Amino acid sequence: MSLLKYIFRRILIMIPVLFGAITVVFILSRMMPGDPTSAYLPVNATIEHREAIRRYLGLDQPLIIQYFRYIGDLLTGNWGLSSNISKGQPVWDLIWQRFPRTLELTLFSVLVASLIGIRAGVFTAKHRNKAKDTAVRGFALVGVSIPVFWLGMLMQYSLTYMLPNWIEAVWGVDVKIFPAVGYKTAGYADPPMITGFRLIDSLVSGKLYLFVDYLHHLILPVLALSFITLASITRQTRSSMLEVLQQDYIRTARAKGCKEKDVVSSHALKNALIPTITIIGLSFGSLLGGAVLTETTFNLKGMGNLMINAIRRYDYFVINATVFLTALIFVVVNLLMDVLYGLLDPRIRF
Amino acid sequence: MIEEHVIETYEEEREQKGFIRTLFSWLGKNIKFLFVPGYIPEDLVARRQKFEMLRSKRKFIRRLRSTLTIIGIGILFVLVTFAIFAPWISEYSFTELTGLSWNNWRPPSEAHPLGTTEYGRDVLGRLVWGARSSLTIALPALLFAVFFGVIVGVVSGYFGGWVDGILMRIMDVFLAFPGIILILVMISIFGPRMEYFMLAYGILGIAGYSRLIRGSVLQAKELPYVEAARVSGAGHFRMIFKHILPNTFQPVLISFTFDIGGIILSLAGLSFLGYGDSSLIEWGNDIAKGRYHLYDAPWAALWPGVMIIITVLGFMLVGDGLRDALDPRLKNL
Repeated sequence: MSLLKYIFRRILIMIPVLFGAITVVFILSRMMPGDPTSAYLPVNATIEHREAIRRYLGLDQPLIIQYFRYIGDLLTGNWGLSSNISKGQPVWDLIWQRFPRTLELTLFSVLVASLIGIRAGVFTAKHRNKAKDTAVRGFALVGVSIPVFWLGMLMQYSLTYMLPNWIEAVWGVDVKIFPAVGYKTAGYADPPMITGFRLIDSLVSGKLYLFVDYLHHLILPVLALSFITLASITRQTRSSMLEVLQQDYIRTARAKGCKEKDVVSSHALKNALIPTITIIGLSFGSLLGGAVLTETTFNLKGMGNLMINAIRRYDYFVINATVFLTALIFVVVNLLMDVLYGLLDPRIRF
Repeated sequence: MIEEHVIETYEEEREQKGFIRTLFSWLGKNIKFLFVPGYIPEDLVARRQKFEMLRSKRKFIRRLRSTLTIIGIGILFVLVTFAIFAPWISEYSFTELTGLSWNNWRPPSEAHPLGTTEYGRDVLGRLVWGARSSLTIALPALLFAVFFGVIVGVVSGYFGGWVDGILMRIMDVFLAFPGIILILVMISIFGPRMEYFMLAYGILGIAGYSRLIRGSVLQAKELPYVEAARVSGAGHFRMIFKHILPNTFQPVLISFTFDIGGIILSLAGLSFLGYGDSSLIEWGNDIAKGRYHLYDAPWAALWPGVMIIITVLGFMLVGDGLRDALDPRLKNL
């Protein structure tokens, strides 16, 4: 089947790109200040001890051998020990603790942004040049210009400070609707580690209060992070819908008596979605970057936070692992987007 | 009676009165021509051909006149004025704005229209001075990216073959990382200095522009007149510079304006995280410092964000206006 062949071809193309990315990470990490051996040693270790660890890690080998060993380590999950963030802890455990949180945040944001954004884009294209269109377009334009961290702060200020104060002034009730920071309430215990994704774990192990608590803490970060992607998806959907709606086959469909609803949803939308999917795929990259900022603003202990702290403190193994993981996610997401392209537009498969 | 020497040509006028006055007098003479569609000056009536050639440029300027675009251009103008004339615009000097004082976290008052932030620095002054750092990093970085992106994109698209394949794979590798992360790592290696930011953004931008230009080159190669030029024996250089490059100009310009906004946002994010150049006045840095006093001194963190929004909005509006004005499908309007 040509779809399978297409998928296979895309995977083949992605592999050298992934290796190229690993090479870039390797080069950059070798140039960074910071000693990989300090993760394995106490502070007052002797020089012989340090040399022994260097030999163990293979740091005295020629660069090419180090490179292949590096690739092997990365791909098998042997990501070393953290030296600064939490000394001696295997990086795999550290990341696996935090990565699901970032993934949940990002996935939710993409979902919310895509669902609302595509509908909003179709809406504005349908009512072009009227007041509704101008309002949504203006909103989307401002949305693309807002920095994520500032939006998060604005939400924190207005929804967790001004809103409760106003409610208290008007109704005398002292209620906290949205939590300002954090990914869970302090006293709650973690659910048992089944998949590592706390949303799934809390559901599966029956602790619904935890599930609701996590969702509750995710609302503001997801709102902030998805807002910008939502705006850009709306803009892109609008412009590609406008382009598609001028095509001849749309005129034909209308002339043949199709209901406007069907014309839009089954004829126009599928073709208009192709550039939009590019944008969604590209936004994933900026979402990952934005997740870093959002995690800092809302103090969610996710992978972005980890990366920032690791870079600040030159924790060699953590930086390697997190940057590699980010590149891997990005490559995989692009692959998925390409496959989705192939599904939507049969012409691309050939 | 003294015979007055009548100025006949623009060259003479330029010599006599200087460039700027010539520019303004040209504008004055031609303003009706530029802004009113359908107006033909008397001296051009006999030369309709030249008039026809200029028609598309007139229409372009005419279409740029939508309200939002003018607002965007106005914002950019104000921004550039802030950047260039900051010492004269703001009441406080650079040392006062980065120095220490006892005046921390004061609410808006007479002397400080938007309040003060940490160490008694005036918020409004820092808003004005912050335009400098953002623009000086973004513009050269993008020019660098466009220059080398053009080279890579044209070589890749025009010559094709294995050169194309290899170059595009390399660019894909750069595009495989979210930008902010690569820049974080590069800055942590080389140090948070302004020049390194420019270089990092420039290198990252090459990948995007080379892709864009390669697409345009591939499209331009299919055009009939390009094929005709090839058949009539044009060499490589002439083909590239005269026929293909002018076609790539348009998407590059539009992407350029949007990317400046993107870089400013990204820079704000980096300085928010603490990786910015600490000797510069950066809006993101202000937001980070003001974050800890958000509830008792919100003006310190809120106004820099508003400034960032206005700045990026300006670039986005101009980019949107350019894109709509250059759109070939709307040529009839």
